[in-house]
Amino acid sequence: MATLSLRNLVKTYGKVEVLHGISLDVADGEFVVFVGPSGCGKSTTLRMIAGLEEVSGGEIRIGERLVNDLEPKDRDIAMVFQNYAIYPHMSVRKNIGFGLRTAKMPKADKEKRIEEVAAILGMGDLLERRPNQLSGGQRQRVAIGRAMVRDPAVFLFDEPLSNLDAQLRTQMRLEIKKLHQRVGNTIIFVTHDQVEAMTMADRIVIMKDGYIQQVGTPLEVYHKPANTFVAQFIGAPSMNMLPGTWTGGGVRLADGLGIELPRRNATEGAEVVLGLRPDDLLVTDRKGLFSGTVNIVEPLGADTLVYVGVNGHEVIAKASGREPPQPGQTVELTADAGEMHLFDAASGEALP
Amino acid sequence: MRRASGFARAPRHLEVWQRNGAMRFYHNLTISQKQIVWAWAFLALPVLFYVVIRFYPTANAFVLSFQEWNLLGARSFAGFDNYVRLYNDPVFWKVFRNTFMYLILGTPISLVLSFVIAYHLDKVRFMHGTIRALYFLPFMTSAVAMAWVWRWFYQPVPIGVFNNFLASFGFSQIQFLSSTTNALPSVLAPAIWAGLGFQVIIFMAGLRAIPQSYYEAARIDGVSSWTVLWEITIPLLKPTIVFLVVFSSIGFLRIFDQVYNMTTNNPGGPLNSTKPLVLLIYDTAFNGFNMGYAAAQTVVLFTILLIVSLIQLRILRDR
Repeated sequence: MATLSLRNLVKTYGKVEVLHGISLDVADGEFVVFVGPSGCGKSTTLRMIAGLEEVSGGEIRIGERLVNDLEPKDRDIAMVFQNYAIYPHMSVRKNIGFGLRTAKMPKADKEKRIEEVAAILGMGDLLERRPNQLSGGQRQRVAIGRAMVRDPAVFLFDEPLSNLDAQLRTQMRLEIKKLHQRVGNTIIFVTHDQVEAMTMADRIVIMKDGYIQQVGTPLEVYHKPANTFVAQFIGAPSMNMLPGTWTGGGVRLADGLGIELPRRNATEGAEVVLGLRPDDLLVTDRKGLFSGTVNIVEPLGADTLVYVGVNGHEVIAKASGREPPQPGQTVELTADAGEMHLFDAASGEALP
Repeated sequence: MRRASGFARAPRHLEVWQRNGAMRFYHNLTISQKQIVWAWAFLALPVLFYVVIRFYPTANAFVLSFQEWNLLGARSFAGFDNYVRLYNDPVFWKVFRNTFMYLILGTPISLVLSFVIAYHLDKVRFMHGTIRALYFLPFMTSAVAMAWVWRWFYQPVPIGVFNNFLASFGFSQIQFLSSTTNALPSVLAPAIWAGLGFQVIIFMAGLRAIPQSYYEAARIDGVSSWTVLWEITIPLLKPTIVFLVVFSSIGFLRIFDQVYNMTTNNPGGPLNSTKPLVLLIYDTAFNGFNMGYAAAQTVVLFTILLIVSLIQLRILRDR
């Protein structure tokens, strides 16, 4: 087990810089999830930590040891790949044991270790099977077993759940989280799915275009997004963004509607964006912040998503699941002032 | 409006169709039956072609192998005479050995060479396309032209390139095509070289199909590149290897062009030391006009090809 630290990490391909000096400290035993849209540099960062990509600038330390120029095998890491990278011509036992090929320990100990790992993953009776005789979830477990058998300081997961169907993904998500609680190794997990990030992480690193946008616990990034990108990336459906101007005591929206807000760190007359999560924007019977016409209704069971046209643009709000409004109906929408987010229109930075 | 009238007319056309007996029959078929009808309609021509051009002559050759025929006169049945004669013919056994020499030397050498080339070429980025094209060029070249060029290479000093090269370093001359021991490998060399390009391309396609993450996972596990080659690359290339072994074995068992063109003044010589089965068949049939005997040799070749292919498929097949 070990800490991991990135210092001004830079990656260039030819003249193109894809990672612009990112820094991060991961504590021992922490579960950190890198999340972001494709091309944001999250996988590149992971592959640099693994040693599969060369470091163009900056430092990577695993447990205080500078590993920039170490071969992957010498970094004390293990990696689980998106396509699992388990060998189709080898049995599960050989696949898991492949990670121990170079380990200097007696054969009997290796066998024992393989059995132990298989037992933890609940596949002790599948050791003689070939990968093509396994289900998707079982293959995923073999891939994790291959990594576990090495007992590395840091586990690296590169979008390991994206090849699974939705139900299995939810299940494996839980299993990986349980596994982490049990073995306690440091884990770096890359995904493009914000739900995975929210549900599994101790801390989330949100990346975009080779920059870290925000680092924080799932609740921090959800409730205190650092900028409009984070605000819209985390949480589904996406946060409603309403442009306007800061009046000192509130926001005057582009359509002239005024919304009162507690004091914010903004100058009067500044161009701002008001962010309202659909979860916080509720359909109400009483007089709300503003009203609009229902365009589309998406029932989810417990509640209903309502697409409401307000003065020419559309916002997503939430209504009760039992008595949802009908399309064409006029509804009042309300939100708690504490759940309203304000961002600078030009920079996108949050205005606390 | 025009479209509307078009729609209105269509059913009347259908009625006319349906009145016709054959069309009514077709109309009443299920979709899958219709697909079968169409499949056979398209297959009819190639099937006919194969029956007339391939299967009929093949069957005829089997029959002919039990007959005497000089190509012009009447055929007469001879029972197993042709096969008995074959069994007692020392030239046949010499040729039989030669054919297997082509196979036993040619297939492994060409496979190992092409794999080594493909394995390394796969890692080369510089002028990759050009180098690959250079390897493929001999495969596109006429075997006749190539055989004659190589024949010229093998000539003694001052004509032959190889002997000139040896002479410039003071080595003694090598009798390439005129020695009974050197002739067969000398003929085999251009045959291997000619097929190399094709095998390299197939191997490279096989190598490209192996996911990069398999190698990355192995790198993280820290196994040697030798282990990666033997335990990951080669096992995963098995389907490619099976295909190439069978394909090139059949090629070497049927070798003819190179031998015939490199030994034209004495085909299969010197002293039958390079003569393969196909050349023997050609000789028996079109120089000796002994069609029955040639047919018997053909049947033997067919049997060898069948057995070798079946054995290879069995050994190399995935369990």
